[in-house]
Amino acid sequence: MASDSTVEVSDYLRDQLIFLHTSFKTTEELFTSVNEVAKENGFVTDEFLPKIIKREATFPTGLQLEHRGVAIPHTDADTIKKEFVAVVVNDAPVKFNRMDDPEQTVDAKLAFVLGLNKPHAQLEMLQALMAIIQDDSLVQQLEEVSTVEQVHNLLSK
Amino acid sequence: MNKKVNVLVACGAGIATSTVVMSKVEELFKENNIDVNLMQIKIAEAKSKQDDADMLISTTVLPTTYSIPTIKAMGYLTGLGVDKLNKEVIDTAKKIQDEAN
Repeated sequence: MASDSTVEVSDYLRDQLIFLHTSFKTTEELFTSVNEVAKENGFVTDEFLPKIIKREATFPTGLQLEHRGVAIPHTDADTIKKEFVAVVVNDAPVKFNRMDDPEQTVDAKLAFVLGLNKPHAQLEMLQALMAIIQDDSLVQQLEEVSTVEQVHNLLSK
Repeated sequence: MNKKVNVLVACGAGIATSTVVMSKVEELFKENNIDVNLMQIKIAEAKSKQDDADMLISTTVLPTTYSIPTIKAMGYLTGLGVDKLNKEVIDTAKKIQDEAN
């Protein structure tokens, strides 16, 4: 359905917001680091960090796929000044609570932090992102990337 | 003339995952010739909007109970169990129409 779409996830990538070989132990550490860079570069407001932490606690974003976990944390549109999709590839899995059952956790090495400020308007990008998440071999390749270029290449497909 | 089914599509922020689910179910209802009115909401709004709706499709955990049928639609994000989920959505909508006739 989205295969002929011209909008790609890579259009939303910002090099400063690609985090590789990180060693976050918790979601809060992960959000704090993403926020630091995002704020410095004018992507988010002061409200972004408290809101994404709170949002993740109330409505978690861990997705259990067949072979692995992935997370797509995001929060309110009014905290986003410039749109982005941040990519975090952590060396070890970080525990995220599950979107469909917050009592359970998933182990996710890969997280896409979505900075979206036009509600309902990024359907093509989101469909492309979901197609990526559903592609097990692609997710596995993403978990093993070592350069920002590789991330761009894999997410342009 | 079958009833037009009012469907709430919810996620936590009403911004990302419900957008994906909206387009999936829109197509699904069209394929099955079910006339629907889709409304994209934050799950927190579901309680106040349920009186004007017939069913709720959500990607998040449901924070409370509702008076209308609810369906968890995580499968549209993960790609797991989509056939079963499609059937559940269609069956629920058809049942609502049958009861209205």
